Formats: sequence, C-alpha cells, structure tokens
Amino acid sequence: MAKQTFNLNVNGKNYNVKVEPDEPLLWVLRDDLKLTGSKFGCGVGVCGACSVLIDGVARRSCCIHVGNVSQGQKIITIEGLGTLDNLSPLQKAFVDHTAFCCGFCTPGMIITATALLARTPNPSREEIIQAMDLNLCRCGSYINIIEAIESFVKDQWRGKSE
Amino acid sequence: MSVSRRQFLKAMGGVGLLYAFRFAPAVSPQEKNFDMLPLDIGDAECVATILDLDYREWIAFGPDGKVSVYTGRTELGQGLKTVITAVVTQGLDILQGKLTVVQGDTELCPDDGPTTGSSATKYVGWGFWLVCAKIREDLITRASRSLGISPKDLEYSNGGVGLKGKKGRRKSAFELGSGKAVLMSIDPNTSRTNDRSYVDLGILNVNAKKIVTGKLKYVGDLSVPGVLCAGWLAQPYLPNLTRLRTVDLSAARAVPGVKMVEVVRGRVAVVAERYNEVLKALDAVKAEWSVPERPENLLLEEESRARARLYEVKEQEGNVEAGLASSDLVLSETYTTQYTTQAPMETDTALARLEDGGTRATVWVSSQHPFMARTIISRYTHIPDSNIHVIGMPVGGGFGGKTSNPVTGEAALLARITRMPVKLIYSRKDQFQLRGRYKAACVIDLTTGVSANGRMIARKIDIIHDMGFGTTNTYTIPHVSTKLYHADWPFGRAVSRGTSFVQTCFAVESHVDMVAAVLGIDPLEFRLNNVRFQAFIMLLDACAEMIGYHNALPSPNTGIGMAIVNHGGSQLGAVAAEVEVNRTSGKVIIKKICGAFDIGTVINRNTVTVGIRGAITWGIGYALYEEIKLNGHSTKTADLMAYHIPRFSDIPPVEIAFLDNHQPGSPRGCGEMPVIPTIGAIANAVYRAIGVRFYSTPITPEKVKKALQSA
Repeated sequence: MAKQTFNLNVNGKNYNVKVEPDEPLLWVLRDDLKLTGSKFGCGVGVCGACSVLIDGVARRSCCIHVGNVSQGQKIITIEGLGTLDNLSPLQKAFVDHTAFCCGFCTPGMIITATALLARTPNPSREEIIQAMDLNLCRCGSYINIIEAIESFVKDQWRGKSE
Repeated sequence: MSVSRRQFLKAMGGVGLLYAFRFAPAVSPQEKNFDMLPLDIGDAECVATILDLDYREWIAFGPDGKVSVYTGRTELGQGLKTVITAVVTQGLDILQGKLTVVQGDTELCPDDGPTTGSSATKYVGWGFWLVCAKIREDLITRASRSLGISPKDLEYSNGGVGLKGKKGRRKSAFELGSGKAVLMSIDPNTSRTNDRSYVDLGILNVNAKKIVTGKLKYVGDLSVPGVLCAGWLAQPYLPNLTRLRTVDLSAARAVPGVKMVEVVRGRVAVVAERYNEVLKALDAVKAEWSVPERPENLLLEEESRARARLYEVKEQEGNVEAGLASSDLVLSETYTTQYTTQAPMETDTALARLEDGGTRATVWVSSQHPFMARTIISRYTHIPDSNIHVIGMPVGGGFGGKTSNPVTGEAALLARITRMPVKLIYSRKDQFQLRGRYKAACVIDLTTGVSANGRMIARKIDIIHDMGFGTTNTYTIPHVSTKLYHADWPFGRAVSRGTSFVQTCFAVESHVDMVAAVLGIDPLEFRLNNVRFQAFIMLLDACAEMIGYHNALPSPNTGIGMAIVNHGGSQLGAVAAEVEVNRTSGKVIIKKICGAFDIGTVINRNTVTVGIRGAITWGIGYALYEEIKLNGHSTKTADLMAYHIPRFSDIPPVEIAFLDNHQPGSPRGCGEMPVIPTIGAIANAVYRAIGVRFYSTPITPEKVKKALQSA
C-alpha cells in the first residue's frame, strides 16, 4: 500500500500526515503528531488505553485505520481535554480522587468517561460501570475512578442548581 | 554498589552537604565519628566509603535551599515518589518546589536494589522520616559549633538553623556543610516513634497532573533522532522448549519501511521505520518450530507429583506424626492453583541508543531495577557496565514482571546490529508468550489434626512448586512440618503481586474452614481460637463487624467467608468476602469485600487506599478469572480476551480498616498483602453459599456448574 497524505483535525488543529491508509490512528498520533498521551496496550481494541474521541464518541485508535477517518471528523486526544495548568474538571476529579496508580490506562479512562458524560450527564453507578467496563486497569484503581466520575457529576449538578 | 566514582561525582556537583545513608543496623567506623570528621564529598576516601559500604540512599543540600533525594528505586504506580515527597518536605520543613526526587538513573542514583516486595514504603517512606530527624539534629550540632551557641538555643527550620524563636541570622544546610558528606545507618525494623506529625499528610500523587493530561512520559513515549521500531515474532510454544526449525524471511523483508529482518538469538526480530511496518513484516514471516515430545496437559497434578523432589524443609516444630496421632480429628486435603501472569497495561518496552562507535549505550527502560537492566544490557551487548547509562522511566505496571525483563538488553542488541537507535515494543502476544515465565501453579497437600474442642494440634504441608511463604506465624500449632518440593520446570518461575504467599494461603485458609466444618464450629470462631497473635483477633473482629458477619441472615446461594495472612511477619491482614452464586450460570458474584490491615502507621492514606483496593482486585482475579492455559508446549492464552483481568463490573464495594496493634509505631507497607487473603475469603464464601468446596483456583462458572450438577 502506497503512502498517501491525510488531513487530520486533532485537538482543533489541522495536520497533514503522509502514511499508508492502513496505518492505525494510534501510531499517527503518537509517532507523527507526538501526542503520546494515547497509549498502546493491546493493539486489538480490548484494553482501551488508546481511546480518543472522534466526533465526541470514544473510539479505540489502535483499531482505526487513518484511511477510514473521514475528512472533517474531529479527533480529541487526552492532550486536548486540559493542560497541566488548566485541567478539565473531570481531570481534576481524577487527581483529587487518586484515580490511578501507574497511570498508564488513565488517558483512556478519562476519554471514555468524557464521552459517557457528554451523552449521559447524570449517570448512575451502573451506567458508569457499563460505559467504562471495557477499559482495563491492571493496578485495579476501578473504585477510585468511579468515585472521581461520581464526584465530577455531583459538582456539575451542584453548579447548575446554584 | 554499582555506581562508579565518576558517576558519583557527576551527581554530586554543586552539593553543599550530602547525607548518605543505608537501612541497616550496622555502623561503620566513619559513621561513629561523623560529626567530628565529616568527609569531603570529592575526597577519594569519601567516595570509596559511600560506594564500598553501600550507603544506598542520598539526600543532598544544594544552594538556594534546594534539596535532592537520590534513590535507585523506581516509580511503579505505588506512589513512592509521593511518599518520599510527603516525608521529606515535612521532615525537613521545605516547600515541595525545593525538592527534587531523582529515581532510577544509573548515572545519578545509588543502587538500592529492586523495587519489590512492598518494602519501599517501609524503607523509603519510614526510613526517610527517621533520616530527616537525624539530619535536623546533625545540622543543629553543626550550627552550634559554627556559631558558638548552645544547641538548646537553636532550632531547625526550612533547610537551615537559627536562634530559637527569633528571625535574624540563619545558617543554611548548604553553608553549614561546606562540601562535606555525612554517613548514617538507620534500621527501620527496630525504630519506633510516637511522633505522628508526618502521618497522613493526605498529599496527592505528585505525578497526578501529568498522568491525567497524558504528559507523564513512559519509555514508549520517548523518541530520539533516527529511532527505529522493533518487535519479535511471538511464538505459540514455550520458549525454552522450542527451536525455530525453518524460517522464510523473504516476504517480511519486502515490506516497505523494513530495515532488518533477522534471526537473532534463535528468534525472529524485525526493525522498521514504523511500528505498523514491524507488525506487517512479522505477519509475513513464515516460521515452523520444532517441539520436543511432551505430554499434553503439561505439569498438571500427576506430572508434578511424579517429578517432585524435596527442595527445602521450611518448618519443623514438635513431632508432626505424633501430633496427628494424638489428635481427635484429622483432615487431609489437596489444593491446586493455576498459572497466572502479571499482564501490566504497559507491555515490555525499551529504547536503546549506542554511542561512540558502539562502545557506550544509553538505554531508557521500564524497570523495577534499572541497575539489573544495566547488567542485562551488558550481557547482551558486551559493553561494560561502566559505559552503560540506564534511565528508569515511570513504570506502566510492573507487579514483579519488570525486575529482570530482557527487553532492555534486546533493544540494545538490536541497536548494535542496526547501528541505529531502537525502540523495542513487545506486542501483547509477546507479553504473554515470549517471556515464558508464569506465576507457579502449585499442588499443596495439607493435613491438620485438631482436638475435639477445636484446638489445632498438628499440621503437615507439602507444597510442590511454591516457596511456601505465609505458612508460618498465623496460627498457634505445636506440631508443624512444612516441606517444599520442586519439579521440572520448563519455563521460568515468575513473581507477581502477592508473591508466593498467594497459592499457599489460598490452600491453608480454605483448609482451615474445612477443618472447622468437620468439627462443626463456625470458621470465625475456629480462627479466633487458634490465631497466633492478639492482633489477628482484632482484625477478624473488625472484618466481621464491617461485613455484618453476625447479623447476616442466611439467604439462598449467598455466603460470607474470611481469611487471614501474615505477610513477612510485619504486615497482618484479614479479609471478609460476601458472595452470591448464580446456580444457572455458575457465576460467582462478589457482593462486598471488607479488609482490615495491621500495617503500622499510614503515611499517605490517598496512595495506600488505592493500592489496597488494587490488591483486592488482584485477589478477585486470581480467585475467579485469571489462568494461563497450557496445552502440551503451547501457551494458548495470548491476549486480554482469553486472559480475563478484573474489570469495573467485577469489583464490589470495598471497605477498608487500618489497625496498628501488631508492631505499633512504624509504617510497614501494604502494596501486595491484601491480594493474599482475598482469595481464601472468596473461596470460603463460595463454600458457605452453596456447600461446595473448590479445591482449585480459579473458581470459574464451568467448575461451579459442573460441581452443582454432580452434587
């Protein structure tokens, strides 16, 4: 397969990359755009460490060929959600609840939770578990992750009622 | 000590005062005189003493109130850097911004051994607190001499010493040091304190913001100019038993972007510009393995027994045969466990660059022991240790699997062959198959003799394949024999979270419940009657209270089980689990887990709580899900679909209590221990729920259904 030029919109910026169409989006993000927050964990879409938002939906970037990303689709990676000096409220909730140990799965967790909260702003614990269930954390920080998401939701609704 | 004089001096450039210490009871002659004859940092005698006598942790005071901590131990997610930061900023009364923690860099750090066995909090967390106290004391002595003021009129604060209660003139540690090194020995095992001021500072993980923004760099996230990607061909057969018989590399070599496809050390390696090209080339390799004759179902119980030979008599007290003969009731049982693996989310990865015509190497690693990595790299490349710089990056999950991982040496070797920097990334399949090292499946025979009134009299344990940890110091038993056996082992024995307490404690705690059942005594009461330490009674009571053991009304197919462990003599734990068994699907649903842990002083509740919850998650995985399946020579379990690590939906509510009765007054660590009793507690709860004892882990739906059908 010959290399082609693809135009990608990532975190609000447009990039041109020249790769083969079957290049997984994950490696374009990591190696070409140097956005290394999305992690390689399994390469077959099982663990969720590579999750990114594509038009607001959490997708496994290791299983998406660049050639299958449509022109104009908006890709958001963990780097697009907040910065060290300006964390997103959900990122802050993950910090406050120590929702990680080694942190390797965390970007994928935050991306998946962001997608959940966009479609279900006030999820029940069951809904959180169901939405997050295919993101794996070997350290076993699951309860802290649930607590972080729940606390974020609580703060959001408190903010709205005020 | 693996640091060279050159490296030491490099690390110490610009330091005003260095405290080098070790966690040991011994005291060297230089130490005795430390405040009289401090050594100059650059002095040959000083360097030799520090390096030869293994002062393995350093705290250095630089100019501008900066303090640096150097430790070879690495960040695995256990929060070590956070613990050090919490303890040292508090202990030396300095701002977090003034502290630098340098971890796992072989040019800058001393080698203080592998980061394993839950020891880091005890030695680094607690030990550093004791060190800080000594440093404050030493600085006051120095200031007193230098200013001619009595020590009682001086006080330490914020990296310096001044007159008590007055602002005025202060001397910083940097000024007081004037290029001197001070040696210390501290023994965290014997030191106690009532000073609780450092306890539970509640500081957040110091890497937290980087983690949640994707900015924390793991080794795979690094890049150097010209770097190539590399991978191995995973093999379906146990690596130590098989050999590449025929191999056709031509199609792989034709894949665009590929720089090298070769058989290296008996396996196929690919190096290419992009990782996807590596994978494509590996797919194009045609290979056949030769496999020696071995039976299917390798190393199941019968084969283990046939090959077992005595390795060690672990315990021998009283006369076990006489004890059993004099018992009112004797129960003999056999338990078996499965092979498991660490399965960290970050697969083994390393980045290697050779320099100066291949005579030097810089290797970035994900390792629990960067100094061991340096030895491995030297072995693979024949570059001497002193010319290899290993930089330990944050580890994306180690769990015992990244202590001597060969990926470091392999990356350096491929860099040597290609004369280019190489980033070697294990595929998930490699992670399962290539290492060929698994946590040991075990066969454990237990015989216990008790009196009619429920006292343990004698216990005999024969363990094949395990190290037998955790058999001692849990119950009071006059007559004990514990023997360890080894059998042929076609692949490496791996350690993982919970070490080899896991297998034996599952067996012992299941067996204890069965003895109680035969006696007709409640298993909690039976444990309370026989435990070795008062602290266990308090732990069991706490667990029973949290889970509602005494209030629980029996409902169909539900049950509560408990188990205890003594992890290395200093960490005691009890776990209670409530389960419900679905008789149709065979699935064990955990309703709740409560754990009580006697681990001494808690330094940072935020990090220890997430650690304990994680360890309980591991116990759940071992008890119900995880199994590496072997068939003859093949490892059939090669991905995260076949190997079920616990997920969100597998985790029940967890309640935790901290106690401090066993050896009060010192932090003792808790990263692994809760794994261990969780397994026995779940197995015992299943027994209480459906009256079926499972003698092997994991307790899968298939096993449950089969047992219920035959019952």
